[in-house]
Amino acid sequence: MLLKTTLIRLLTTAVTLFGVAVVVFVLVRVAPGNPIAMMLPPGATEADIAALEALYGFDKSLPEQFVIWLGGVLQGDFGTSITLRRPVDELVLSRLPATLELSIMALVIAVALGTAIAVIGARRRGTATEVGLDLSSGAVLSVPDFLWGLVFVLLFGVLWPVLSISGRIDPQIEVDFTSNFYTFEGLLRGRLDVVQSTLSHMLMPALALALPLAAMIAQLLKQNLKEVLLQDYTTLARVRGFSETSVILREALRNALLPTLTLVGVQFTFLIGGTVIVERIFSYEGLGNMAIDAVINRDLPLIQGIVLLFAALFIVINLLVDLSYTLLNPRLRHG
Amino acid sequence: MTGSQTHPNTLDVMQLNIALPNGHRLLRDVSLSLRPGEVRVLVGESGAGKSMIGKAVLGILPQNLKVTEGEILLEGQHLNAMTPWTRRKTVAQSAALIPQDPLTALNPARRIGPQITDPLVRIHGWSRTKARETALALLDRVHIRDPKRVMESYPHELSGGMRQRVLIAAAFAPSPRLIVADEPTTALDVTVQKQILRLIRELQQETATAVLFVTHDMGVVAKVSQQVTVLFAGKVMEDAPTERIFTDPRHPYTRALIAATPSYADLDRPFSPVPQALIAELQDDIVRDDARHQGGAR
Amino acid sequence: MADITAAAPRRRARRLNLRLWLPLLWLGTVALAALFAPLVAPHDPLMQDLMLERLPPSFMAGSEPGYWLGTDSLGRDVLSRMIHGARIALFVSVIAAATTCLFGSALGLVAGFFGGWWDRVISRLVDIWMAFPPVLFAVLLVAVMGTGLTSVIAAIALIDWTRFARVIRAETMVQARMDYVDSARIGGARRLATLISEILPNVLPSIIALLMLEMGIAVIVEAILSFVNLSISSDDPTWGSMIAEGRNAIHFAWWVLLFPLIALFLTVLSFSTLGEGLKQRFDPVLQ
Repeated sequence: MLLKTTLIRLLTTAVTLFGVAVVVFVLVRVAPGNPIAMMLPPGATEADIAALEALYGFDKSLPEQFVIWLGGVLQGDFGTSITLRRPVDELVLSRLPATLELSIMALVIAVALGTAIAVIGARRRGTATEVGLDLSSGAVLSVPDFLWGLVFVLLFGVLWPVLSISGRIDPQIEVDFTSNFYTFEGLLRGRLDVVQSTLSHMLMPALALALPLAAMIAQLLKQNLKEVLLQDYTTLARVRGFSETSVILREALRNALLPTLTLVGVQFTFLIGGTVIVERIFSYEGLGNMAIDAVINRDLPLIQGIVLLFAALFIVINLLVDLSYTLLNPRLRHG
Repeated sequence: MTGSQTHPNTLDVMQLNIALPNGHRLLRDVSLSLRPGEVRVLVGESGAGKSMIGKAVLGILPQNLKVTEGEILLEGQHLNAMTPWTRRKTVAQSAALIPQDPLTALNPARRIGPQITDPLVRIHGWSRTKARETALALLDRVHIRDPKRVMESYPHELSGGMRQRVLIAAAFAPSPRLIVADEPTTALDVTVQKQILRLIRELQQETATAVLFVTHDMGVVAKVSQQVTVLFAGKVMEDAPTERIFTDPRHPYTRALIAATPSYADLDRPFSPVPQALIAELQDDIVRDDARHQGGAR
Repeated sequence: MADITAAAPRRRARRLNLRLWLPLLWLGTVALAALFAPLVAPHDPLMQDLMLERLPPSFMAGSEPGYWLGTDSLGRDVLSRMIHGARIALFVSVIAAATTCLFGSALGLVAGFFGGWWDRVISRLVDIWMAFPPVLFAVLLVAVMGTGLTSVIAAIALIDWTRFARVIRAETMVQARMDYVDSARIGGARRLATLISEILPNVLPSIIALLMLEMGIAVIVEAILSFVNLSISSDDPTWGSMIAEGRNAIHFAWWVLLFPLIALFLTVLSFSTLGEGLKQRFDPVLQ
């Protein structure tokens, strides 16, 4: 039964991914403007253009191009970037770690902040504190990460300039790592200067990405907590002498987190989507920043590669969420 | 007073009043007491306020209900005079609850074992080993087969009857002097009900724990109790030893309640619900009473 | 219990009014500024004057009278650009949100009411769409269609129709299961007529709330596209292009970023608050 559901799930995932590939391909190919012509110096001949078009496969029909491109993608060949003249997979993989680190940090902040606010709200339920937290999380929620990023630029770039507002790491620092996971590899190698610098560069964009999600988690989790806190087993825990806070943390939180998890999973994909513009605001050298450059430069293979990677990332995350939901729920695990 | 100092009752409830925020009283001047090792049944129809007394003692009244008057003494200590923190500790040290619905009273996300041993370790300060041994012994005592496996189980893997046994074991584990059993058999099958009742009775006698047993079923009264308090609309109708209640009920409501229970009704007469006229009369009394009470308060 | 439940709606009603009126006040101001921009704006929003570059706002030292919110790096008046920017912001928000709403709600109603293949195809499309990072998708669409207001509006509608489709589909499915729909059908009403006369009125509160939300989102998307220089020409005054300019000049003229940012902030907050307030007011169940 579980196997069958998983198989169906994987199949629909494959269909979705294929659909994404089709949409990306069609979109990029109907774009006006000949990227080849832009690549060549003004004096180029027709023959030069034709040669380059053949090189990038633009001389074939659209379905043919699609099949060739998809065949390449399946073998891990995403083509060559037109502007940067390097394989797309290499470019994308060199930037992916920066975006992943940023997203993960934002997720951690969002979950920690959201949970803390939810617990405080549930602890002080029925008081002015709860109303205040509700109102402010409502307001935080309706303002998107783009604006929060700019607010932080003003706050910590101008008003109280404690953090750097652009880049990923202090350019003075020498980094000779094997991967581009500066923070993780820095931790492993004990290069605390690298870790410290990347974290301080990441803090503001991560906070901007995290705030709306934190507010969302706070709202939903608090509501779930309040429902769970009416359950008999929490009453029993109070009778047994546990304080309200420890009832919330030990008895209620785990049960209340479960329904929140699905939301966090879906919202995490939105958060990753938000990195595109937030990276731009903070000149953070991640995938999103590269994507916008690629769009502006009409670098078709690069755009295709990045969008496809984002889509695959979203789909994988949703799968993982489903999986962890099953793992965390004892009823589903044993049933 | 000096007598109660040396041999205090396990529980004294004195002139207890509980009201909604608008002043409407749900419990009216209820007094009762339990001696150590005694079982007292609170019996009444739904809405009589019988569960509320147990909740007031344990400090788990719903947020909108307040104790407006009266005293609760647990082993001679005034609970109402305590800070919430001391009160919680005091109650946890000497009282426990067997809840009504075993399906919702165990945390679905946690294993059975820690749900029994956690309070022993964290509140009563026992060692993990002692807590675990006690839990295993008690699970065995409540006739749970393979206690070790059950300790590792999640609640949904157990039947309703088994969960109630687990909850009984958990209630008796810290050796409380008072157990509030809040309709502990209502949510169970009839066959299981009898076993659970017998189990509570046996454990109560072995450990000489005082039990405040809340029920709507006169049938249960005869099986478990020594003392009975009959409640109607938050007011004590009759308070008497169990054998006298059945042989010589003095209050008309008690008589009606006995008549409404099939096995205790006169077998020649058909079993009859509590008559409407009696209910109306009693309610009139209470309304008059309340008016007097409010007049007095002003 | 009775008095508690009676007191709650009264308290909510008072707060609800404030929640409606404050956003309306701000949006009304923006709308007036947009409508009468040429009359209200103290200066020509496009006029550059290098003698007046990076003037601070009037409450700071070194300001020039008449330039209340200061000037940008090209000496253009910030307030005038903001007032003219309100035109584009409101225009995009109204047209784009309405288009998105029509498009998405129609698909959601059809999927939820007719079910079957309609539902399967539309739901699969929604799934595919949700796999795209929205900002990147918007940037890509505008790049494909070419810059300009039409592209911006089309891009918003093409991306965000899923928001309406998902919510309205779910609500339509709930409504379609209700008894009154059956009785209308037994009464001989045609399917499409039932959809419009019986179901649409019941999902309307959600549509209105989403529409308000979408207007806020449209303003943001337009600002984001201007920010990456893909909306309309960069000389034209938009809040997004001002923000981009302010971000670049952050260490010399932070006010160029601050004031359009405040305007965006309040506008987005107003739309979402208004949406919530309207939903509560018109929802027959909540009343």
